[in-house]
Amino acid sequence: MAVATLGHAGEHEEVDQLYKETRDLRLQGFLLFLISDCVLFSSFIFAYLYMRNSGQGWPPPGIQRLDVAFAAVNSVVLFGSGATMHYALENWKHGNFMKYAWCLIATIVLGACFLGGQGYEYTHLIYVDHVTWAGSGIFGASFFTLTGMHGFHVFMGVCYLTVLLLQSTAGVYTKSKYFGLTAGTLYWHFVDIIWVFLFSLFYLI
Amino acid sequence: MSTTAEHPGGIAGHIHPEPQGFIRRYVFSIDHKIIGIQYIITGFVFFILAGLLAETIRAQLFNASGGFVTPQTYNEVYSIHGSSMVWLVVIPLVTGGFGNLVFPVQIGARDVAFPWLNMLSFWIFPVAGLMLFSSFLMGAPTAGWTEYPPVSLQGAAGTSMWAAAIFLVGVSSTLTGINFVVTIMQMRAPGMTFTRMPLFVWGQFATAPLLMIATTALAAALAALFMERQFGVPFYDPTKGGSPVMWQHMFWFYSHPAVYIMILPAFGIISEVLPTFARKPIFGYKLIAFSSMSIALAGFMVWAHHMFTSGLAPYLQLPFMIITFVIAVPTGVKIFSWTATLWGGKIHYSTAMLFAMGFVALFTLGGITGIFLAAVPYDLHLHGTYFVVAHFHYVLVGGSMMGIFAGMYYWFPKMSGRLLNEKLGHWHFWLFFIGFNGTFLPMHWLGIEGMPRWVATYDPQFEFWNRFASISSVVMGVGILLFFINVLWSIRFGKKSGPNPWGARTLEWQVPSPPHYYNFKNIPTVYGLPYDFSQPLPYKGLDDELNDTPPAALAGAHH
Repeated sequence: MAVATLGHAGEHEEVDQLYKETRDLRLQGFLLFLISDCVLFSSFIFAYLYMRNSGQGWPPPGIQRLDVAFAAVNSVVLFGSGATMHYALENWKHGNFMKYAWCLIATIVLGACFLGGQGYEYTHLIYVDHVTWAGSGIFGASFFTLTGMHGFHVFMGVCYLTVLLLQSTAGVYTKSKYFGLTAGTLYWHFVDIIWVFLFSLFYLI
Repeated sequence: MSTTAEHPGGIAGHIHPEPQGFIRRYVFSIDHKIIGIQYIITGFVFFILAGLLAETIRAQLFNASGGFVTPQTYNEVYSIHGSSMVWLVVIPLVTGGFGNLVFPVQIGARDVAFPWLNMLSFWIFPVAGLMLFSSFLMGAPTAGWTEYPPVSLQGAAGTSMWAAAIFLVGVSSTLTGINFVVTIMQMRAPGMTFTRMPLFVWGQFATAPLLMIATTALAAALAALFMERQFGVPFYDPTKGGSPVMWQHMFWFYSHPAVYIMILPAFGIISEVLPTFARKPIFGYKLIAFSSMSIALAGFMVWAHHMFTSGLAPYLQLPFMIITFVIAVPTGVKIFSWTATLWGGKIHYSTAMLFAMGFVALFTLGGITGIFLAAVPYDLHLHGTYFVVAHFHYVLVGGSMMGIFAGMYYWFPKMSGRLLNEKLGHWHFWLFFIGFNGTFLPMHWLGIEGMPRWVATYDPQFEFWNRFASISSVVMGVGILLFFINVLWSIRFGKKSGPNPWGARTLEWQVPSPPHYYNFKNIPTVYGLPYDFSQPLPYKGLDDELNDTPPAALAGAHH
């Protein structure tokens, strides 16, 4: 199904023309927002590394190492969603609406799976290993704060992508005017990249 | 990010329909000039409150034994004084205030890139300000504006409110920074290349990335402080494995760039005022522009010079000391360029010019004491003394505030269509200048002799100069009072200014005072620098601006 058949053709040309002129503004603004968000994560990552190197060894005495295997599977789920998001945008650009929709739905589902996995991991840590946010020293503080912040970003991303899906089925975007989808894709990749760092820093080293 | 959907059209359009009604026009306005004025009014209201706190400090220190307020209250007073002067007065005034008011017109744009975001940035700010002052009701923070743990962890409930308020101000700053970067990058008029931008725009262009990046780092530190205080999550408490020094790193990674956030736009204001009233092209345009950028960049690499006494490893102290010294080079380049601008100029001693020249003198003094403090051995002696207080008041009051006053006298006609009274202005300047030096100059030797900051009582040997400072602070206060009287009087009865009372050449003076909500009927084309006073204006397409007919683009605009 072609994307550009929604609405009156003339109206869309006009909107497209206006859109071309504003596109760079919004894209640049959104990229700058991601940069400042990145600084927020970097600051907490700095705090984590600072505490980790404060001399009591890591993980601190009395705390188990994190379960790498489960988190690795969960990471693959998240990175997979990055790939499906990429194909969603590409398909939109080429006008393959159905493929786009299925790719976007897959992204949303994979994102939700990642959140579910993280929920399982949290529950396991809290109720089985008795590692909590406030009660397990700097380990709990840094792990739950950073992964929680990331999880919150994933959650917001899932919500945003759902909104995008509804908007695109309602004809808000056209084949050449799809800034929301670009923003959603950039955001989702951003969240993916943050997870690369968090996974490496918490689970691998 | 769909906020711009109703304001399409890039720089050629970006024109919104005339705002209807009082609320849309003056309260929830999306016009950058109105938002700028809103920032300025709100900032000055907080300036009065924070200024009263300053007078409370001086009243307490009039006697060596204190006695005006309790030591606990005194701690709250100086903490809120510092916090509000930095985050609610100087930063909003120089960025959101003058930035919004002036620079979009100076680059020939009709508004900032994201007008709705701009409105949001503004409205976060008074809410955060009220939150900050409301912390007095629940026990205000007592650890100074820097709120070092562990003291801030033990402080009263207001400390959490403080953290939340500063976090919100940070959100506002970040959004403003994003907005300004995009506006300057994308919305310059045709021909307005980077090296033709007025220097005030360069000041904002150097500042906006700092607002955007540094403020988020502070947000992380504040969020961690809030979580630790409210939920007991250990970040800073050493008994639970946290580190108080980590707060200092995170705080100063923001707060050192923050001092450049406060001063770079003021540099910009001075660079507009000096050539206009010396009737001479600015000396070293590119040097001033690029030195702002290099100060902004180097500002990220010097934060630990605030922490020389916090147990920083010696091999780290040395590079931080050297990079701090290096910052003096671009700053010196500016000072010399401004001095060279005055050299041989035909100087008009208007109030704006007096403040600008006062700025150069006082900021130079503050900069020199900054070099003292950057030297590790000397800092070990002076850290935490009144020498530090003298230093940052010279750069913040003698620098930023003088710049703000210069900007007020310079751009008040553009805001209101009326001139501020020059006679009252001269009284304001001289009382302020003399009172300021009387208050803060003695603090240099008080500090060298060892009087510590943040104390409610002090050794009687320091009493004479403290009394001198307290009396001088009243003189400064009277000067500021005259300024407010001047504003209130001139807004009703001031002399009509016309579009260009100073004979200035930047774009904001080529349109009516106050400008129309669309700024320009026709976006001008720029073909030169705005500072060549003997030459014709470097703009094409401005002939029509002072007529009363609205722009043609508006006739067809249906939104």
